[in-house]
Amino acid sequence: MARKAGAADVWQIDPTKCIDIRLGATGVPVCESCATTCVLPLSAVRAVNDYAKCGRCCICPAYYDVTSEVGPDGLPTRKLCPRDAIQRTPIGKVDPSDPLNNFYEYVIDESLCNGCGRCVMNCKEPAGLGSIRLEVRHNLCLNCNRCTISEACPESAYIRKPARSTGGSGAPT
Amino acid sequence: MGVAHDRWIPGKPRGRFLRGWTWLLLAFLATALVMPASVYSIDYQRPVEAAPNAKDIGGGYVTPAVQRPLPRAAWWGAVDAALLLAALGASTWIVLARRSRTWLVALTIGCLLYFGFYRKGCICPIGAIQNVTVALTDPTYAIPHVAIAFFFLPLAAALLFGRAFCGGVCPLGGIQELVVLRPLRVPRRMDKALACLKYVYLIAAVWYAARPAENRDFIICRFDPFVGLFRRTGSAEMLMAGGALLVLGMFVGRAYCRYLCPYGALLAMLSRFSWRNVTITPDNELDCGLCTEACPYGAIEKMRAVRSSCLFCARCYTSCPRERVRRHEVPAAPVGNAPVGPDQ
Amino acid sequence: MQYRQVLVMGGRGFRPEQFTESLRGVCVDRAGLVYAAGDSEVKVFDAQGRLVRRWKTEKPGYCVALSDHKTVHVGQAGQVQQHDEDGKLLATLRDGERLGLVTSVGLSGEHVLLADATHRCIRRYDKDGKLLNDIGADNNTRGFLIPNGHLDFALDGKGVIHAANPGKYRIERYTPAGELLGHFGRFGARNVEDFPGCCNPTNVALTAQGLVVVTEKAPARAKTYDAGGKLLAFIGPEAFDQNCKNMDVAVDSRGRLYIVDTARLQIDVFALDESAPASGPTAATKRIP
Repeated sequence: MARKAGAADVWQIDPTKCIDIRLGATGVPVCESCATTCVLPLSAVRAVNDYAKCGRCCICPAYYDVTSEVGPDGLPTRKLCPRDAIQRTPIGKVDPSDPLNNFYEYVIDESLCNGCGRCVMNCKEPAGLGSIRLEVRHNLCLNCNRCTISEACPESAYIRKPARSTGGSGAPT
Repeated sequence: MGVAHDRWIPGKPRGRFLRGWTWLLLAFLATALVMPASVYSIDYQRPVEAAPNAKDIGGGYVTPAVQRPLPRAAWWGAVDAALLLAALGASTWIVLARRSRTWLVALTIGCLLYFGFYRKGCICPIGAIQNVTVALTDPTYAIPHVAIAFFFLPLAAALLFGRAFCGGVCPLGGIQELVVLRPLRVPRRMDKALACLKYVYLIAAVWYAARPAENRDFIICRFDPFVGLFRRTGSAEMLMAGGALLVLGMFVGRAYCRYLCPYGALLAMLSRFSWRNVTITPDNELDCGLCTEACPYGAIEKMRAVRSSCLFCARCYTSCPRERVRRHEVPAAPVGNAPVGPDQ
Repeated sequence: MQYRQVLVMGGRGFRPEQFTESLRGVCVDRAGLVYAAGDSEVKVFDAQGRLVRRWKTEKPGYCVALSDHKTVHVGQAGQVQQHDEDGKLLATLRDGERLGLVTSVGLSGEHVLLADATHRCIRRYDKDGKLLNDIGADNNTRGFLIPNGHLDFALDGKGVIHAANPGKYRIERYTPAGELLGHFGRFGARNVEDFPGCCNPTNVALTAQGLVVVTEKAPARAKTYDAGGKLLAFIGPEAFDQNCKNMDVAVDSRGRLYIVDTARLQIDVFALDESAPASGPTAATKRIP
């Protein structure tokens, strides 16, 4: 009994197991294995922001280090991403007189992101809305038989899933 | 002239040929069994109705779509398999028919560049042993067609023509082939003893790949010495092991291929029953031994290529005087074998 | 001013007094009976935490409020249901598509104020169910900024609405007609009196003296301010499960706080500790520029 030959399985992160993603693992240090153990120089794992679920908050706990000092404009002074991969732009109807009341789009520059997971951990509920997740980018992943990240993952959160047949947007399988 | 070497002349080619083929066919059918199994999926749903939608944000804002790029399209795998088939055909034709080392080196470099540095050494037939093993032992494992093709095509070539894969196609072999500098002769007993290591490696690889998912380990992938060089990145241990093997390969030709490669073990077994294989001299041996000296891999015994060890490098006949005469590189001796002229 | 925990009610489990899936709303009547809305039920506890009554609601309840006539209002998705004190269903208030998820109910005379989290505003209805006006819908974000999906407010004796606007990190005061009277609070992670993280404060309640009690998430804690925004007391994160979000709070006539721990599905009761002096730094109300 063999599975239908000809299907292609790819590596994906199980969000119910990954420490950075799963609910309930709050107040624990960020696990950065995805960034450090991939065989590629820049890991094939990236943080992906699901825009439909993002709160577009002015003070995003994944963009800013919300424990840092607050500057004169009312915003925190330090950013969270160690590679400065998130861009923050105001969207919608912008009220220039009251900037803290506008909505902001947070876009992750994937050429900079190395999948360290800090933004993911800080966006997770209850602190945020959990719209950022770590995902394996299948156009970058070499799809090794023996994924070194999967061997190093402390929660064994890497699983093999069938590759999706359609690309673009939508809920991940 | 020369001693009759009955052992090396295929006794009953048809019988052994068919035996080998049926085994291959059965294995292929077992892998390609079409029995769809259930596919599990992760529940990603989280009840977040709190995110603002485009209407709340206003100002003509449209929620952008999340990009989820697909992996390399499946038909590229067909391209790879087709290229592999073409390369095997080219290797066979170059070594058995055209009999030219120059063409072979060109093919080696081409395959090294494509399968090695461009495709980064993955997927390779050596690793495909593990994929096929897992496909046969784990019902939930999906094996892509390209892995099946990469596993069986070189074996089929071996059954038909010998180790054509090792000759011009394998990138790991190719990179070692290009660094052969001053190959030393390995004593016969040591050579035979070391050659057993690849069977041990093969059994270990199959064993580890056949274990259930939690304990499964792909040791061929883990201990692949050259994949770090192909990817141009890797851990220090991987890169140093690859470099060390290359340095060793300057003096002990293709040590990995001869003593460690698990796929080479399979090819060696099948190559014995091949329908055609490498022949050194076009007619009778001179017993001059030039071929034996030319072969860096110790694959010539009693003036015949040892089918299981011959790595299709084409050095033997390019140094055979009879062959060189046939190619008009040297003038032929007149009838009677009396030396005339200064070229002898 | 300082609080100490005196009692725990409810809990996670299958016994009658425990909750299985959710616990979201709480309110206290003058006699000290605690009404808790969770799962698809309302459970009534006495002052010692024993279960007195329970009855089922049509949908999971998000908030609960009591009128002077002892009717229990339970806010649900798209509707508010009124029960008498024994649990008999008296009336259901719906408004078609206009009324979304009701996360807070306030009763002011004959009028019912509902916090509509789907449309991010507070809607005021009269007793016949006719919409009178919306509060908070006409600012530059077209409503309250509630990324948590929960809008909470409290009514004081004069009918002034104290609403939590977590996206703007402040408590805002509105007249019933919708006019903004003032606000206090600002973002900050270093001072205890500021509201940290992404969207805080999440819930608000008023004491009989007009003090404002707020709860926050990430870190989950509770604070008490005076009407001008000066911090008087706080209950630190060690008292709550840090996975809590949108912890509803109620205050009884003695000034005890009843805070819902949404992760452990229990109600923590905190009483005033008369011996301790005021805690927390003093701070004047700061308006966000």
